[in-house]
Amino acid sequence: MASERPLLDASPRPPPPPPPPASSLLPPPQQEPPLRADRLAFSLDVPDPFRREDHPQQQQPDASRSVVVGDPSAAAAAAAGFAGNAIRTAKYSVLTFLPRNLFEQFRRLSYVYFLAITVLNQLPQVAVFGRGASVLPLAFVLFVTAVKDAYEDFRRHRSDRQENNRLARVLAAFSAPGGGEFPPKKWKHIRVGDVVRVASSETLPADMVLLATSDPSGVAHVQTVNLDGETNLKTRYAKQETQVRFSQDGSVGGVLHCERPNRNIYGFQANLEIDGKRVSLGPSNIVLRGCELKNTTWAIGVVVYAGKETKVMLNSSGAPSKRSRLETQLNRETVILSIMLIGMCTTASVLAGIWILNHRGDLELTQFFREKDYTTGKNYNYYGMGMQIFITFLMAVIVYQVIIPISLYISMELVRLGQAYFMGADKDLYDESSRSKFQCRALNINEDLGQIKYVFSDKTGTLTENKMEFQCASIRGVDYCSGKDSCGYSVVVDDLLWTPKMAVRTDPQLLKLLRSGGTDEETKLALEFFLALAACNTIVPLVLDTRDSKQKLIDYQGESPDEQALVYAAASYGIVLVERTSGYVVIDVLGDRQRFDILGLHEFDSDRKRMSVIVGCPNKTVKLYVKGADSSLFGITKSSLDLDIVRATEAHLHKYSSLGLRTLVVGMRELSLPEFEEWQLAYENASTAVLGRGNLLRSVAANIENNIHILGATGIEDKLQDGVPEAIESLRQADIKVWILTGDKQETAISIGYSCKLLTNDMTQIVINSNSKESCKRSLEEALATAKKLRITSSTGTLSPELASESAGITLALIIDGNSLVYILETELQEELFKVARECSVVLCCRVAPLQKAGIVALIKNRTDDMTLAIGDGANDVSMIQMADVGVGISGQEGRQAVMASDFAMGQFRFLVPLLLVHGHWNYQRMSYMILYNFYKNATFVLVLFWYVLYTAFTLTTAITEWSSLLYTVLYTSLPTIVVGILDKDLSKETLLAYPKLYGSGQRDEKYNVNLFVLNMLEALWQSLVIFYIPYFAYRQSTIDMSSLGDLWALAPVIVVNMLLAMDIFRWNWIVHAFVWGTIAATTICLFVIDSIWVLPGYGCPRKLNAFMSLHAMVPHFVIKAFSEHFIPSDIQIAREIEKSENVNLVNRSEVSMTRLDDPRR
Amino acid sequence: MGGDESYSKFTQQELPACKPILTPKWVVSVFFLVGIIFVPVGVVSLLAARDVVEIVDRYDDACVPANMTDNKLAYIQNPNISKDCTRTLTITEDMKQPIFVYYQLDNFYQNHRRYVKSRNDGQLRDAAKANQTSACEPEKTTADGKPIVPCGLIAWSLFNDTYSFTRGNENLTVDKKDISWKSDREHKFGKNVYPSNFQNGLLKGGGTLDPAIPLSEQEDLIVWMRTAALPTFRKLYGRIYVDLKKNDTITVRLSNNYNTYNFGGKKKLVLSTATWLGGKNDFLGFAYVIVGGLCFFLAFAFTLLYFIKPRKLGDHNYLSWNRHPAGR
Repeated sequence: MASERPLLDASPRPPPPPPPPASSLLPPPQQEPPLRADRLAFSLDVPDPFRREDHPQQQQPDASRSVVVGDPSAAAAAAAGFAGNAIRTAKYSVLTFLPRNLFEQFRRLSYVYFLAITVLNQLPQVAVFGRGASVLPLAFVLFVTAVKDAYEDFRRHRSDRQENNRLARVLAAFSAPGGGEFPPKKWKHIRVGDVVRVASSETLPADMVLLATSDPSGVAHVQTVNLDGETNLKTRYAKQETQVRFSQDGSVGGVLHCERPNRNIYGFQANLEIDGKRVSLGPSNIVLRGCELKNTTWAIGVVVYAGKETKVMLNSSGAPSKRSRLETQLNRETVILSIMLIGMCTTASVLAGIWILNHRGDLELTQFFREKDYTTGKNYNYYGMGMQIFITFLMAVIVYQVIIPISLYISMELVRLGQAYFMGADKDLYDESSRSKFQCRALNINEDLGQIKYVFSDKTGTLTENKMEFQCASIRGVDYCSGKDSCGYSVVVDDLLWTPKMAVRTDPQLLKLLRSGGTDEETKLALEFFLALAACNTIVPLVLDTRDSKQKLIDYQGESPDEQALVYAAASYGIVLVERTSGYVVIDVLGDRQRFDILGLHEFDSDRKRMSVIVGCPNKTVKLYVKGADSSLFGITKSSLDLDIVRATEAHLHKYSSLGLRTLVVGMRELSLPEFEEWQLAYENASTAVLGRGNLLRSVAANIENNIHILGATGIEDKLQDGVPEAIESLRQADIKVWILTGDKQETAISIGYSCKLLTNDMTQIVINSNSKESCKRSLEEALATAKKLRITSSTGTLSPELASESAGITLALIIDGNSLVYILETELQEELFKVARECSVVLCCRVAPLQKAGIVALIKNRTDDMTLAIGDGANDVSMIQMADVGVGISGQEGRQAVMASDFAMGQFRFLVPLLLVHGHWNYQRMSYMILYNFYKNATFVLVLFWYVLYTAFTLTTAITEWSSLLYTVLYTSLPTIVVGILDKDLSKETLLAYPKLYGSGQRDEKYNVNLFVLNMLEALWQSLVIFYIPYFAYRQSTIDMSSLGDLWALAPVIVVNMLLAMDIFRWNWIVHAFVWGTIAATTICLFVIDSIWVLPGYGCPRKLNAFMSLHAMVPHFVIKAFSEHFIPSDIQIAREIEKSENVNLVNRSEVSMTRLDDPRR
Repeated sequence: MGGDESYSKFTQQELPACKPILTPKWVVSVFFLVGIIFVPVGVVSLLAARDVVEIVDRYDDACVPANMTDNKLAYIQNPNISKDCTRTLTITEDMKQPIFVYYQLDNFYQNHRRYVKSRNDGQLRDAAKANQTSACEPEKTTADGKPIVPCGLIAWSLFNDTYSFTRGNENLTVDKKDISWKSDREHKFGKNVYPSNFQNGLLKGGGTLDPAIPLSEQEDLIVWMRTAALPTFRKLYGRIYVDLKKNDTITVRLSNNYNTYNFGGKKKLVLSTATWLGGKNDFLGFAYVIVGGLCFFLAFAFTLLYFIKPRKLGDHNYLSWNRHPAGR
């Protein structure tokens, strides 16, 4: 994720508002993100953690709710309409199932078409099929879907019931028997205002404000794994006022005013009126439904949001549905087929009209027509020519409807299900380290994976592991970077040895300096530096038992991996954070345990890009420790002092970031008593305010954070994941453009670019970082000119091969930062950027905000037909993941929000290679073939029906029995295509990985396009002619009856289309054999069975097996196939031959397994 | 996720499989094989079709009296005009018994939607279902509402021309037994179902039935009711168990009752021998010979092509990015 994620704090925050253009002051910064979101057309249903919830308009008094603590009935009386705690995720009940499920199903257009045809068939004048037979296919499909839905809903009901009937301990009213105690109560009966007691490891039944905990300082730890997937513990606090009151006499009380239910997991504002005082409450005072209480014996809270109004329920909306490109293209072909259908129906009905016109005088006496019913003397079923044409048209629609393969949609879903199963089961996509399987979250875009042209990747956590490791420190202008060996440092507490869980490589010189115990300035400042690292954070040390009873392990839990790394580093140097409560921290400073009071904490926000704590030291001084981004901290240093140090530190920072390290600057200021008192007053006022507290706190922080002494800087390494350079190389060979979008600094981004081999030394870099629109425009124009110049040299170079290869080596890399993007995205400069970016083979965007990421994806997506894929792991990637055609989430360190929003989720970036090059290729190839084949096979059948109509006086008689024509799509031909769609592989995994360029077939739409569609239709035309006319000429002027010939015409297409499929199958394993031959056998058996039922007209027909004579139809296909495969071979064909002749598996094994070739760090 | 052993070859999509590739050897041998099979099959069927002797005589026009050729409809509709007619056939080749006697109708759409549906199989099979006349419109009941057995247009339009043959003075008996399908007689037409109210309407469509004979023995009806697939069709009239010699003259006495003049249909009488293959139709034979021959030609053509423009299989140089090395 990125880096936008400020180095200090992992929880997603609102993006920094772009610096307002100098001229305009109008839009207040806070409103910017939602506005931008709307312009980018995000679905509003999507949980958007970036959207600020603290808009002024949302804080109006009437928009809040009041909760009387411990008195649910009063609360309910005061404001009706609080939701109860029962939840309901199930869609249907027994009564509503049928109508609602049918309604849901018929929202699909194809089903409506199905239904319309069936209804049409029920009209007596138009009835082509018998009633039963015509309803059957629709009924079958509806039934299968309904059973599936019912089963899913049943499971939801069951889990709802379990959830609702769980027990929680709720404070009984004092008046009631057992008052003051906590008898168990079912979750569904809990109401807003109830006071609930939760024990350790219990799940919270509703969103509650903490009142008291077992910890005297009111701390409670919760695990939010069910909510956002983060496994680390988060600290929540009960307010001292309620904590004290409860511990005194076990009573609770007060009235709580809080905002309306909303879906912002990270925001909460309220105040509590208790004992005549107003206490402010924030996000750190609320615990949410679904979390688990950990490391805290008990906690007591008052329910503020229940049931469907809890934040977890408000956030549980499914991923937005996307449509695959193949499906969109398929619709175009469906339109063509509809036109064909109308054409055929019109032809049939017009010819029928002409026939009637020619025979108008004869109709009464003609034995096979006989217009009149003489018992009534009226015409029977004849309404004049016009009406007759119309009825014929409708009947033709019913007879020929199969040409639009409705069953294809069902087949496609089954195939995707199978493909998803195999992708999930692939051990190459299984992440050993996190034990996470590949997940197919969106089931309808599998085949898009085979057509990707752009990959937009986040950096932190996606390319890198997001396991931070402290590497370098620069203290007062001295660089300590030579860390070699890691020596653990332990502290002794109560005769027990406490050891930090992780040791960091330390610099011996620095260690010596610290241990020397000197009192000179240098040692003091080094100590201050590490004290700042240990104190200025939100890390909670957890003490874990080890097998050795003498030893304990300190595990630093926190929301930011950067902070963890810093605290571990401080610990390794001997400054060990031992304990943290809401009021103080205990730090073991080189063996001496000291208590530091935390007087105030200014949380990180992305405007300030820093955080600070006010610490009361043991020696009664008050200090402010700050840490934050360099740009932010150098702005608030005491400018007169430290000039040399600032300069040296800047040089070190530059060095660190060019090594690819994440940098952070640490500063300090001693506060005088008046300064402190002034601050304290402002801080208390701000933190109890209900309205605009965030802004007030920010301004308090800004007031105090100045005149800072620079203590030093840190460099934290974020290691590249395994196989990233190799994976990126493979993707680029496959002509996939990889763009990196990161929040990191430009230098860091470039160095990561080098280490993952995205950037190479022979590339020309175009760097754009501008601060105004004009300069942006200029840079873009220059870049475009450079690109043109390069292109001209390379194109003239093609005259001589040597020059061509030389100039082809010069490629462009565009590096652009978020500041410039502010002036480019959403303005007319976008077009320029797009042109430049297309010329470049590598694009690196640094310092970008989450919505800018989405904007960049949109830049490509809206202007080209190219498929885009976004991959990321953090909450700030959500918008990008949802914007791209395919969104991939990395289930990594930073929670599961990216995964929740993604279409596919996996454990490692390098899995992208097998996912795209292997599974994407297969899925695309299989699905394309299946769609084309389904069009072809249905068209063949319908055309056979059509030719027969020419010999029935255009009256749409079908020689094929209605059962056979209905079973044709369902049974006779569908199973092999589904099996082939799931199992067939044109090339082996090894070959596809060894030759990434083979991926190009999907990018170029080679397997599914209009030409192939037309070819398939021509094939269908030819084969239908053969299938129809060979029996026609063989049996014309003979005694053959309709049923016998009908059987021939039913069996022949089945044989022919299955033989064609057999010819095109790449890989014959036993399953494919069984289904292809089994289907032909089953069809034959079916026809014999149908004909042995004497109710049906075909009873006893012989001669079916003559249908095999239609195999003549296969000759052209075979000729074309043999010719094109040999004389105009595709890359895939060549690769298949290579695969067969050589043993690719052995030759390229080393390349395939993508083991790390070298240390990719530098 | 269990251990490695739970990953079977199936889940990894690595089932042992055959990967056929159309190598030149394969292509040429397939063409040869098909040619080798198809050409002999074609030749044999052609020979068989040639062996069939078939004599066709169209009589619908010739049997109209000379004075009525302008108004054939009036001729056929007038019950007072005798429909008897005599035709003379000369045998062109020796014909071995059994000789099949067919009548052939042209332009008669037995597969017309109105017509093909107009029957009720239940009624035909089961005497108890005599009242079951659904789908039989417009020939369902008599004017006074009695059910017609057999109902429907198909039965109503029963073909009713009759033929008898003499060679010189010798009467050639036409055996009309066993001309319908055994399965039809046994399962589709009931042994205790008797015709009733049949052909009593205002408009007679064709032949009448003897109400004393059960439907399962009315073989002409059974043959007629197995509707033809195409508008030109033959139906078996009977068999003659006499060998006919070349140049024999056969006199046919027929009664030309059936009305096809109304819609321009033709009526033909066909005498034919039969082989294992069926009737005199050499289309299939030609098709096999032509396709087989084509396959031989293709085998040679491909052999030639492979020699002129050979390509090493699986050669990396043919990969598109190796052919155009400029692209990165």
